[in-house]
Formats: sequence, structure tokens, C-alpha cells
Amino acid sequence: MKFRKDILKINCKKEEEQICGFIRKQQLSMKREGAVVGLSGGIDSAVCAELCVKALGKERVFGLILPERESSPKSRKYAVKHALKMGIKTEVVDITTVLESIGTYERRDKVIREIFPEYDEQYRLKITLPPDLLSRDAFNFFTLTVDDGKGGVKSARLKKEMLNGIVAATNTKQRTRMVHLYYYAEKMNYFVCGTTNKSELMQGCFVKYGDAGVDIESIGHLYKSQVCELAEYLGVIEEIIQRTPSPDTFSFDVSDEEFYFRMPFDKLDMLLYAWENGVSYEDVCKVMGLDEEQVERAFRDFAAKHKATEYLRMLPPFL
Amino acid sequence: MTENINRKAADDMEEVLRNFIVENFLPSAGLDAFENDDSFMEKGIIDSTGILELLEFIEETFNIRVEDEEVIPDNLDSLNKLKSFINRKIAKKKA
Repeated sequence: MKFRKDILKINCKKEEEQICGFIRKQQLSMKREGAVVGLSGGIDSAVCAELCVKALGKERVFGLILPERESSPKSRKYAVKHALKMGIKTEVVDITTVLESIGTYERRDKVIREIFPEYDEQYRLKITLPPDLLSRDAFNFFTLTVDDGKGGVKSARLKKEMLNGIVAATNTKQRTRMVHLYYYAEKMNYFVCGTTNKSELMQGCFVKYGDAGVDIESIGHLYKSQVCELAEYLGVIEEIIQRTPSPDTFSFDVSDEEFYFRMPFDKLDMLLYAWENGVSYEDVCKVMGLDEEQVERAFRDFAAKHKATEYLRMLPPFL
Repeated sequence: MTENINRKAADDMEEVLRNFIVENFLPSAGLDAFENDDSFMEKGIIDSTGILELLEFIEETFNIRVEDEEVIPDNLDSLNKLKSFINRKIAKKKA
């Protein structure tokens, strides 16, 4: 297929039918009675829930909303509103106490205080990769930024040990959500419907046995921009459609672009498609209005992230 | 004489860097596992967290500070690029 500006455009009706058929088939093969979807208040989980409702009926879809003390209040608000619109049963389970009991915040904060000794519970934090990959070349290194809430913002490049410490602690949030999703799924004889999209899967932007600890991935074949297109078609509420995609994992607002992808999704997805399908540099440059150096930089970043996160996509090997 | 000292220093730096890279990222390979101009990223020798380890090593070993905007492939993505970069940083410190 010739690379062109609308290469990622989908036939939403056909896509809906295909995914719903897939969901029904998986439900039958797993002998489950319905689907549990973790509703984050974001577009991916909203689309997955809509598709489960279309495939199975609203009586067979259960939405679990799992905020913690650092979640954006919008997440719960939008998730509840959208669930009402879909007419599905939901439950809100605040996982803060569980996270506190397993030391999520304490372990993470201990690492942060090695860098910023003054850091306390009043502070907000985020970690980000260097911005704007298409304008400026840089290796992938994470920067920790803290905000004391009084106008004082500080940043520091994270050394490997510190990055690992922060990520390991933070990932317990997603893994705790997985535990809750499976509790409800098994209690109800439902399956857990994953909400990770292709852009995230390809680039390793998910937590193994966290948000990727699921029974099916209903949108794992769709780039983020395609998920957005489907969201409009399915009637996802406007607040969710307009919301800037975010991991919603840190107390300081950070977008998916800042946290991990280093460029906006409309450019990222086209470039990911081009990289995956071996589109020539010439065609990419012509269609996207980029120069060869920019395309090379993007492809190099994709290859590095894809390779570094291969183990996340693997099933456990055995002899 | 100065040229000989400079050459020795350069060789020492190369040896130190090559040893570090092989020990930490290619433990089952020999010291000749890569060429001086081989791209660490393209050859899969060092990944993104490996770059952090490398940064920490060169900062501590050569007593330099690598600024965020200097963490780019042009400065770090091969043994020759690393050597040039480190030498520039050292020269700037002395100036």
C-alpha cells in the first residue's frame, strides 16, 4: 500500500464489527460470561469498554475504576460519567491503602530524597524523556522533575539505579490494579479486557503483568490515532476524547508524549507505521514534510525502544 | 615528546573505555568485539539504560560533567565519538 497522509484512516464500522467478533470469540473460547474493563478515564479504556458493550451487551460488562492518591481527579470523574453513558455496572476501589501497605510511595520517595533531600508529601513529581525528538537528537534518558507547590521546580537527570528504583516502585500501581481486575473477573467468571494500543505495545509503554496483565487486548492492533478515530465513532464522551493522553501515574501532570513518546501521536503513529512497514525515507519525507535526518532519528528511537522492551512482550520461556 | 604523551593518554582512554564497555555490556565477548566507529545503538551494544551507566562512568572516571543537551549520539554513540567528546570536555575544563 502506498504511504500517504491518510494511511492510518480506518473504516470504523468494519473495525467495530471485527473487534466485536474477536471479543465474542475470545469470550466463548475462554468460557467466560462477560468482561471486566479497568476504566482509567482515558480514551483507550473508554473505547475498549464501548466495544465490549457492543459485543456482549451492557449487562455483561463490568467497569472497575481504581484511583489512588496521586491520580488526577478527572480520571475518576470521566470514567464514572462514561460508564453511566454506556449503562454498565461499575465499582470504584481506591487502591491507595494497598499501595501504602506495600511501600509504593515510601520506596519511591526514598529514592527521590537521595536526589532532592527536601522532597516531601507536599511535592509533586514526574519523570520525562527529552522532548521533541524530531527537532533535537538525544538519547533516551529520564529526568526527574519535582514541584514544591510554591513555584519551586527542580529537575535532575536520573542515574540508572535511581531510575530503576522509581520505576519499580511506580509499576506496583499498575500491578495492583491487575490484582483487583482479576479478583472481580474471577469472582464473576468474566475475562479481563486489556486496553493497551499498538503504539504502546510496539514501544514498550506498558507494565508487564500490570496493565498488560490481561486476557485479551482488544485494541492492540490499533495505533493511538486510530483509537481516537474509533472513539468518535463509538460516541465516547467529549471530555475523554479531548483529554490529553497521560499515564496518570505521577502527581505532576505529564502527557504520554513528555513521559515516553517524545513526539505527538499524529506524527508518531505515521512514523511507526512507516518504520514497521519498511517505507522508504524518501516517501516518508515527502508525505510528512520531514527531512531525512528527522526520520532517521525517529526510526532509530523506535528500534532502540522496541529492542529494549522485547522482554516485556515475551511469554515466559521454558525448556 | 608531547606527541608521545598525548598518544599514550589517548590509548589509555581508549583502553579504559573499551574495557568498561566490554565488561558491562558484552561480558562474553573479547576486547575486539567492536570497531572504534561502530554505533553502540545500531549494533545493539548499549541500550538506553546502558547509556546512563556509561555516562556515570565517564563522569566519574574523567571528572567531567555531561550536560543534558550533550547526551546525544554525536557525542556518545561510538568509541571514537566518546573519546573526542571526553577530550573536548577535558580541554574546556583546563582552559
